[in-house]
Amino acid sequence: MTRLIGGLIDRTAPLSFSFNGKTYQGFKGDTLASALLANGVQLVGRSFKYHRPRGIFTSGSEEPNALVTLHSGARTEPNTRATVTELFDGLEASSQNHIGPLERDLLAINDRLAPLFAAGFYYKTFMWPRAFWEKLYEPAIRKAAGLGALSTLPDPDTYDKGFLHCDLLVIGGGAAGLTAALTAGRAGASVILADEDFRFGGRLLAESDLLDDSWPSEWVDRTCAELASLPNVRLMPRTTVFGTYDHGIFGAVERVSDHLPPSDEAVRQTLWRITAKRSVLAAGAIERHIPFQDNDRPGIMLAGAMRTYVNRWASAPTRNADDQVAIFTNGDGGHRTALDLLGKGVPVLGVIDTRPDAPVFGKYKVFAGATVTGTKGRLGLQAIQIRQNGQSTWLEAGALGVAGGWNPNVHLASHHRGRPVWDEDRLAFLPPKDGPKGMFPAGAAAGNGATSVALADGMRTAQQALAELGTTAGNIPLPRVTDTPDTQAAYWHVPTTKRAWVDFQNDVTVKDIALAHKENMRPVEHLKRWTTLGMATDQGKTANISALAVMAELTGATIPETGTTIFRPPYTGVSLSVLGGGNTGRHFRPYRLTPTHAWAKVQGAAFTEVGPWMRAQYFPRDGETHWRQTVDREVLSVRKDVGLCDVTTLGKIDVQGPDAAEFLNRVYANTMATLKVGMVRYGLMLREDGHLFDDGTCARLADDHFVVTTTTANAGAVYRHMEFAHQCLWPDLDVQMISTTDAWAQIAVAGPKSRQLLQRIVDGFDLSNEAFPFMACAALTVCGGLRARLFRISFSGELAYEIAVPARYGHALMERLMTLGKDLGVTPYGSEALAVLRIEKGHAAGAELNGQTTAQMLGLGKMVSAKKDSIGAVMSRREGLAQDGRRLVGLLPLEPQSQIPAGSHLFTQGAAQTMQSDQGWVTSSCYSPHLGSYIALGYLENGHDRIGEVITAANPLEGQSFAAKVVSAHFIDPEGGRLRD
Amino acid sequence: MTDLIPLTALGATELRSERFGALTIAEDDSYGLASLTLRKGQSAPTPFGLTLPEAGFATQSGSTSAIWTGPDQWLILGEGKGQTDFAAEVLAQAPQASVTEQTEGLVCFDIRSDVEVLPIAALMSKLVNLPPENYATGRATRTGLEHMTVFLYQRDERHLSILGMRSYAGSLWHALVTAAARLAQAA
Amino acid sequence: MLIPHPLLGLRDSQEFTYLGDASLMNRPDPAGPSAEAEFCDYVFLRDNPAGVHRELWFHEQGDRSWLVVTRNTLTHEILGAELARNLPARGAE
Repeated sequence: MTRLIGGLIDRTAPLSFSFNGKTYQGFKGDTLASALLANGVQLVGRSFKYHRPRGIFTSGSEEPNALVTLHSGARTEPNTRATVTELFDGLEASSQNHIGPLERDLLAINDRLAPLFAAGFYYKTFMWPRAFWEKLYEPAIRKAAGLGALSTLPDPDTYDKGFLHCDLLVIGGGAAGLTAALTAGRAGASVILADEDFRFGGRLLAESDLLDDSWPSEWVDRTCAELASLPNVRLMPRTTVFGTYDHGIFGAVERVSDHLPPSDEAVRQTLWRITAKRSVLAAGAIERHIPFQDNDRPGIMLAGAMRTYVNRWASAPTRNADDQVAIFTNGDGGHRTALDLLGKGVPVLGVIDTRPDAPVFGKYKVFAGATVTGTKGRLGLQAIQIRQNGQSTWLEAGALGVAGGWNPNVHLASHHRGRPVWDEDRLAFLPPKDGPKGMFPAGAAAGNGATSVALADGMRTAQQALAELGTTAGNIPLPRVTDTPDTQAAYWHVPTTKRAWVDFQNDVTVKDIALAHKENMRPVEHLKRWTTLGMATDQGKTANISALAVMAELTGATIPETGTTIFRPPYTGVSLSVLGGGNTGRHFRPYRLTPTHAWAKVQGAAFTEVGPWMRAQYFPRDGETHWRQTVDREVLSVRKDVGLCDVTTLGKIDVQGPDAAEFLNRVYANTMATLKVGMVRYGLMLREDGHLFDDGTCARLADDHFVVTTTTANAGAVYRHMEFAHQCLWPDLDVQMISTTDAWAQIAVAGPKSRQLLQRIVDGFDLSNEAFPFMACAALTVCGGLRARLFRISFSGELAYEIAVPARYGHALMERLMTLGKDLGVTPYGSEALAVLRIEKGHAAGAELNGQTTAQMLGLGKMVSAKKDSIGAVMSRREGLAQDGRRLVGLLPLEPQSQIPAGSHLFTQGAAQTMQSDQGWVTSSCYSPHLGSYIALGYLENGHDRIGEVITAANPLEGQSFAAKVVSAHFIDPEGGRLRD
Repeated sequence: MTDLIPLTALGATELRSERFGALTIAEDDSYGLASLTLRKGQSAPTPFGLTLPEAGFATQSGSTSAIWTGPDQWLILGEGKGQTDFAAEVLAQAPQASVTEQTEGLVCFDIRSDVEVLPIAALMSKLVNLPPENYATGRATRTGLEHMTVFLYQRDERHLSILGMRSYAGSLWHALVTAAARLAQAA
Repeated sequence: MLIPHPLLGLRDSQEFTYLGDASLMNRPDPAGPSAEAEFCDYVFLRDNPAGVHRELWFHEQGDRSWLVVTRNTLTHEILGAELARNLPARGAE
């Protein structure tokens, strides 16, 4: 145990957890990393490429090394950073990316083969022989690639999503974030304060500087208590703002219960979409390291992280309590760590300071003008080599802290491609000047990291942001603090002929950068891709700037001349589960039910999805073992007696106004203005390019009142199109329209006995052919006073009607029709029989209106009126469309029991089956119980002149070829006598 | 009167109602609904004494209320008119306008809170992407909820009506009760 | 993105359906002598500027208004939004 005194852990709440099967103890308030360190565990994983032993390098979300797998079974979560994993009782963690035990990874052979894996290795090695890529290289690389492994089981956890709005979003709850939130909160603005940590305070919790002469955590707690008491402030700990999107929209993930034992009930994470009028980026800064030879051993970590572990978590970074800790620094920051270690009783070997005039702040040894040039210790640091005044000395050390300066955390500020700006005084890239509109960087994120400066900067920045919203925010009292010295001298890496790691997660070394330079991959974008620098899951948070500095040195250019890198969302990894927002399975997307859904369910119907709708597909009866038996029976019943089908899903649009007729004339290709009141007309809608868009019926209820129907699939698109035509093309027309699809339950009553059946429910309405002929419509009452609409239209080709009643009565009407029609043989039929009936009749549906076809191809070219203008009329007459000879025909396979699949292509018999000789294609296909044969519809070149010809329908995908006779598309009653009787 | 027995939008004979902590979510089919759209040059009528509201608002007069749904277009809600030909009544009040029956087009779910507006706002923040000012009394707007189109009508501090397309009633109900249950569990 | 609806204020772009270039409002005269050629341009030839663009958005989950939104396609900055129905005929020039 290397647990120290003090710290922000609750020693009254011990927690037990396991790592690689071994049980350890930690406390409430620990992270997995701090608890492992307190237990003397330095080795936590293996590196990506070389399988080098790795330890904990940081104390935050920028961690490149300490990636572990949490949980087991379906909840297995790979590649989780131990540094941000909040400890709870029973937490199960394991290391990853090794074969055999962590200490003796068989894949460590890769480290010996390192010379093979230089920059550009993949590009250079796997180029030849070409054929090897798919068979050999890719599978082998895929097997070796990646860190942790997914469980491949369905995720059992619950996820949620939500939307928040605020005046000011403060990202980061450290010194600057807290004063920004308090300033805005006191001014009455609506504020969201989000921090990825489970405890607010940022580096205030990690440092030992006193605020108002007390521990900083006391000021933090007081400030958070006040913020929590303000109704206009929402505190969001455990919330990572991961992306900056347009116009002040941010993506954030709240880890609602990741800090608790897994549960089947509790929401695990919530995805928030936050819309903020202004934002303060107070995301702090990330310390950088100084690459030197063998700088990746467990026990070597950032000096600032070391302070965090010591001050906040009372965890020493060593394996044993008496191990010495060394610090390597180019500035005062490293000395601060030495002082804090000493303050907690951790033995300090000394501070190796690159500056010849290195200061001394306390009772520890200072190696001025010195560097670290080597390390020993395969599974954990044992010794370091110090070079000073030309002399090299090996000294024993159990841990080494590295302080190379701080990089403002500009990630979220560069999501809109704004480029960070180099500041020579601060030796750091500052947030871009052309960053996201309305975002104000503050504190360390803006390069103002000294505690007193950050506290004031947060307040000032909030005031500035709110001023843009017209809110004046007053000053808040800021705590007294004495800043520790923080000067530094530029020093980027210790030259070596061996390997010095820059990017730990992707195993990129200074040598790789030098090779990229030699091979002319010098622009930052090329450097990244050649070496994979910064392309790991940490996006190079601890690597990019150092790499840039090395490249600058190699090219002899300045850092800003060398370039900079920007970042993309997400700031840290976001699970796909939470991005899905929690809706899975049946509720993955909403769905629509017809008014007779409950009834159909009781009948045992099979359902099918039609767009968002659930439709009854067919209604099996006892003894029917195959859906075809059911569908054949339903089809024959309609042809012989009468059938019922819920057709509510068809889109219905109510069109009114003095210019309604004129308007419909312009959106339909055929003439609608001449339609008489009380009649219905079939209509074709074209797109402006002359192709078919949709078809449906148009019923005239009054001079200035129409109801048009659309296909189920196009209901939304047709309504949008009609609104476009009105609002954008002809706003002068006095017409009003509104969708009314859901208001009416509409049931098709089809078959020779349909009139007989309907006669039993209408309230004294004359249904005779004379009084209510084909294509008539009327408002009437049924079943003793229920208002209804009746349309005599037919999709099946039989005598048929569609009756509409207020939706809540759809169910009861269906039941009533079933009861009253028993003696007539009434049969419910589903969408499958509906399709067979319309194919037998040669009526077009979605497959015939696929966006590439014309009215002429459908055989309805004459419907496109030349006497008036309508959408698509002009373009339908252009040469390419007008001369298209393909026409809709019926196809009868010579072998009646073989089905020609839809999509098959048509050829003249004996012709070569090539693109050039293609004669058309099959649109719809089904078995016709009426004909006792499979039938199909298709578009065929000069189809109308080829009736009787035997052609070939080919499905080369499955090597099928059929001989089929060309017939009229109207397999049944081509004269239309049945529906007019 | 017809002897046909109506079903609720959720496919039952009884209206559904569920309680989650301080919140109650209940199906309400008592409203007659009709859309009213002005014709060109027509000035706004005052059906049932209602002053038709401006964009983003609703008005109420007695048992009738109106929600702005678009330029020159409103949805009129008549309490207790669910079983009548409400559109005909509205047309009689505004004979110059285009009136369309919508009683069955929309399902109405009422969200009531025992306390103040906060639980309703918290629930809605899980479901719709609107700034909180939309939950002020008398506000009404149309927006998206789990990809469905809904009207939100804040009747008073503790009462929000959500009107969605009737065929989506089941999915809308599921969305509401799932969010409400999670909220109650977290509390 | 947030679309500044002229009647309803800032609304999330998820409520809208995008159509494209507002030149679609400039439907050619179908009776004109070169109607076919003009329709061909109208239907198939659109500008795709890197910069300020006037485009049509439909407030599908809202008030069902068609808007002409002026947007900088490089920065997504929105410079204005108007109700299409209020624009004079051929108003999208």
